[in-house]
Amino acid sequence: MDIQFIFIQLFNGLALGSFYILLSLGLTIIFGMLGVVNFAHGALYMLGAYCGYTLVQVCSGNFWMAVILSPLIVGFIGMVMESTLLRKLYDLPHFYNLLLTFGLMIFIEELIQIIYSPMGKPFNTPKELLGSIDLGFMLFPKYRLLILGVTTLLAIGIWFFLVKTKLGAIIRAGTDDSEMVDALGIDISKIFTLVFGMGAGLAGLAGVLAAPLQNIFPYMGMGILTETFVVVIIGGMGSIFGSILGGIIVGELITMGVIFWPPLANTLIYIFMAAVLLLRPRGLFGRVKFFE
Amino acid sequence: MEALGILSFIRNRWVVFLLIPLFISLPFLTPHHSLASEMLIFAIFAMGYDILFGYTGLLSFGHAIFFGAGAYTSGLILIKLQAPLFVGLLGGIFVSLMIALIIGFLSVRIKGIYFVMVTLAFCQMFYFIALKWSGLTGGDNGLHGVPRPSIGPIHLDSEIRLYYLVLMLFVLCLLLALRIVRSPFGRALQSLKSNEDRAKSIGFNTNHFKLISFLISAFFGALAGGLYALHLNFVPLETLNIMTSGDVVIMSIIGGIGTLYGPIFGAMLLVYLKNLLSAWTEQWNFIMGILFITSVLTLRRGILVEVKQRLFHKR
Repeated sequence: MDIQFIFIQLFNGLALGSFYILLSLGLTIIFGMLGVVNFAHGALYMLGAYCGYTLVQVCSGNFWMAVILSPLIVGFIGMVMESTLLRKLYDLPHFYNLLLTFGLMIFIEELIQIIYSPMGKPFNTPKELLGSIDLGFMLFPKYRLLILGVTTLLAIGIWFFLVKTKLGAIIRAGTDDSEMVDALGIDISKIFTLVFGMGAGLAGLAGVLAAPLQNIFPYMGMGILTETFVVVIIGGMGSIFGSILGGIIVGELITMGVIFWPPLANTLIYIFMAAVLLLRPRGLFGRVKFFE
Repeated sequence: MEALGILSFIRNRWVVFLLIPLFISLPFLTPHHSLASEMLIFAIFAMGYDILFGYTGLLSFGHAIFFGAGAYTSGLILIKLQAPLFVGLLGGIFVSLMIALIIGFLSVRIKGIYFVMVTLAFCQMFYFIALKWSGLTGGDNGLHGVPRPSIGPIHLDSEIRLYYLVLMLFVLCLLLALRIVRSPFGRALQSLKSNEDRAKSIGFNTNHFKLISFLISAFFGALAGGLYALHLNFVPLETLNIMTSGDVVIMSIIGGIGTLYGPIFGAMLLVYLKNLLSAWTEQWNFIMGILFITSVLTLRRGILVEVKQRLFHKR
């Protein structure tokens, strides 16, 4: 096995990790703010892929347009979900909202399955992104490079947004104590809707970006949802850096597992998760507050 | 006096006396005999789950593991070893309890929302293991050819006889569950649910109690799983699917958590409905999703309580 091959696989692991980063960032922000573990996150990811499919293959639109529109559409759907359904249950124990999102997950998956049939659909990589690019030390597929680039930019953008802008400061404050923010005269319910929309939009973006790498099908969100949970458990809930590191670890573990020990490829991340739980139950960068 | 005592005993428990003939005749009331067995199997699963979720306040999305492990292990023991029926069931329970001990040890230290995610992740792991280890489990096709050994002279090839075996075990489980929740131990579990910090400060080792509650619910799940393998003569891979965990959660919510009887009723209702609706639509899961959403939004105290409230106490 030559070095170049290993390098390519490492990069593939990073590209896969990118999807986990996009998803777990949304999951973490939503959880931090609303106290809801969004089980519908995987379904929103799938919805992003189907939005892209509809825009490109059915409406014969442009791929770039789909990459921009799909997250907006999914984000809007997320905002509607939050403001019509989740909102009703904030005063009750958190697990009711979690169960509600579980129900929404089933509902969305089955609805898509009824509309588009349970069969997988092919989604073509746009022509200009086919083929590989020479990075000097290896050849790497253009499309995966794009994914890496987009994720890196977004992660920096989100960090900048949360740390440097006023709205970001409000969101961070709301994560610590949303009642206090509300008492200080900021309409927290609008922020809740916005945050849920943002998280949903990130999931939608991950979905539309993932579509060309695989066939899309109505239940594609379930697997990635549990893997995203593993990312968040490893990285620690409520930490942006934890999401990024956890995403990379899980992406690499899956990619490397497939090469070195295929039968265990799917199980490796759970074993790693169990080890983290044993040694550091709140995850690598988890905040004590969320763990309590 | 004696006769009066019996009368008041009957009057206070008239529901129970109505239910006895209902349960005995259940297989003759359902569209086919085996549906009655399935209803009670899931009732056993749900009542054990209620001890964890309803009484201890821990929401697990991993209980498909114990149901599935019980089903697969019992099935394998009965197929490969040609063992007696109860050996198969006990073997399934034993393996499930071992798994529950490990998962419980790793997850009860973790609070609230994290617990849900960890149990769900383990559920997916066991699903993958069963899927990939197809030499043992049959993979995607499931484990076929689970026999139903006779118990002494009683052959279980008839669905009716299997139902009465399930009914007998169901009654034993119910008595056990009632004994548990009404014992001082059960009270301690409920104190964890209402205020864990306070329970800890008066000297309870709360993690210990949570682990035992986890094991108890795994025990019921494994028994139900083993019976499910007998009932189908086959173990589908779906027993380990996260949706199976979701099923038992929704059964509990629809029936009303923390009541034991509620989840039993919820399980029987849901299994019956599923059977009824599957006959005229393929979109059972779609209905399930809507059911999930509406019951979380409107039936949180259980369908019986909510309906009663809305009919008799109009607000």
